[in-house]
Amino acid sequence: MISASTKQTSQLQVTVAITKRGLMRMRRLPSLMIPSIIMPIFFVVAFSGSFSSVVQLDGYSTDKAVNWMAAWAILQGSAFSGLGGGGLTATDLENGFFDRMRAAPITPSALISGLVGYSVTRAVLPTTAVLIVSFVALDADMPGGLLGFVIAYFTAIGIAAVMSLFVLGIVFTMKTLKSLAVAQVVMFSTMFLSVGQAPLEAIQGWLYHVAKYNPITHVIRMGRQGFLGDVTWAETQPGFISLALLLIGSGLWARSCYQKVDI
Amino acid sequence: MNIKHSIPQALQLSHRSILGMIRQPQAWAPTLFFPLLLAAVYAAQFSKAVNLPEFPYSDVTFLDFILPACVIQGVLFGSTNSATDLAADIENSFMDRLLSSPVSRSSILVARLSSAFIYGLVQATILIIIFFAFGAKLTGGASSALALVFLTSFLSMGVGSFLIAIALRTGSQEVVNSLFPIIFVFIFISSAFFPVELMDGWYGQIAEWNPLTWIIDWTRVITIEGFSWNAFLQAAGVILLISLAGIATSTHQLKRRLAVAS
Repeated sequence: MISASTKQTSQLQVTVAITKRGLMRMRRLPSLMIPSIIMPIFFVVAFSGSFSSVVQLDGYSTDKAVNWMAAWAILQGSAFSGLGGGGLTATDLENGFFDRMRAAPITPSALISGLVGYSVTRAVLPTTAVLIVSFVALDADMPGGLLGFVIAYFTAIGIAAVMSLFVLGIVFTMKTLKSLAVAQVVMFSTMFLSVGQAPLEAIQGWLYHVAKYNPITHVIRMGRQGFLGDVTWAETQPGFISLALLLIGSGLWARSCYQKVDI
Repeated sequence: MNIKHSIPQALQLSHRSILGMIRQPQAWAPTLFFPLLLAAVYAAQFSKAVNLPEFPYSDVTFLDFILPACVIQGVLFGSTNSATDLAADIENSFMDRLLSSPVSRSSILVARLSSAFIYGLVQATILIIIFFAFGAKLTGGASSALALVFLTSFLSMGVGSFLIAIALRTGSQEVVNSLFPIIFVFIFISSAFFPVELMDGWYGQIAEWNPLTWIIDWTRVITIEGFSWNAFLQAAGVILLISLAGIATSTHQLKRRLAVAS
């Protein structure tokens, strides 16, 4: 008879093993990792350079575009990292390895947690890369101090987890690598319809209302606050609640879509 | 092989190439969706930017300002399709079968270049119609619209010719697809979404040297200030130089592949 605690320990080991497998694959296939590091770096350079004058408009509360765009590039990199678990799963589904994992004594939660763990760990690399480029090459500021860095990493990891769960749901439903294109369209549309590049005060028309109620807006504000000023609970709380709700929603979505792998 | 046979063969292969594109909506749908999404988002986010003191145009909306850039962005993303299909032909050995038949060698290249041009033409027309529906203005009317469609289709063929050269060289769809970020970089480090006058330091300097900036700025003159032969010929001249270089490179790569095959 296996005790509950032994069972829990073995499932945790499965989660860790799946995370490690993803990271090992990433190390052995650098072509998978390079775009997810290079693109966020390019985003911070391009957005800070192209839109360097937009900070003159109301609502930006900074005199350097990089302070505004760094958080946006970090979250884009994290969202891209969130695709990692989905990509790995789609490949496994196409070559039949996923069926063998499902035939093993692994709970769906352990399997999904391992894939999310891989995406979340992967998100640390582009976040660090963007921060290094922002501070070394683009002269960014962090008035929020150490807490500003901590909240930026926390937000990046949270977004990677949410996007990973969301993408897994799509991959479980469509069971093909091509589903990643659909996931990207939905994922990046959601990100763009927020305060990623401009504050609410600067946005006009329909986008103002969409961005105002988009939960990603609160999450971005939470991650960005350290670049613009002190880290406060008033700015953190809405982001934290939005992130928690997004995690619950995307987790339920991924778990319910997992059933579709059988169909 | 004389020209009497080459033209019908090129037409047949072009027809096949265009049909192949139409039947893969997953390839062309994103190239329409993303420019429209960016246009909708930027027009709402940066609408107040037209009031900045150094903004080069007066009495325009931000949607009018980014119209040519979004059409160019769309056709450049779409220009990868023709090369990807050629790489697929090489990967699945259709190219080998084509080469073992008495088909004119030049028609292989002409077919892919013409499909890139036609795809750009259709895509630019659709994008301009959607922009109109959402309130964008073209000061020069039909002549400006036609000039924009022609210039962007021509650019699609020019950039497509470089991608076709890479497809011929590598024979890999993955490699051709991985070039997408390079196109993205060229678009963003240009005056596509914001005027160069409002960019700071080295970034603004690089954007100023980017040939895409020259094409976009002259195209923008046509759409905002009205049709002018001067702006049209300057934009067309830059695109012609890009196309000649691209066609020369792809012809060289085709010859190289033929030499390897024989």
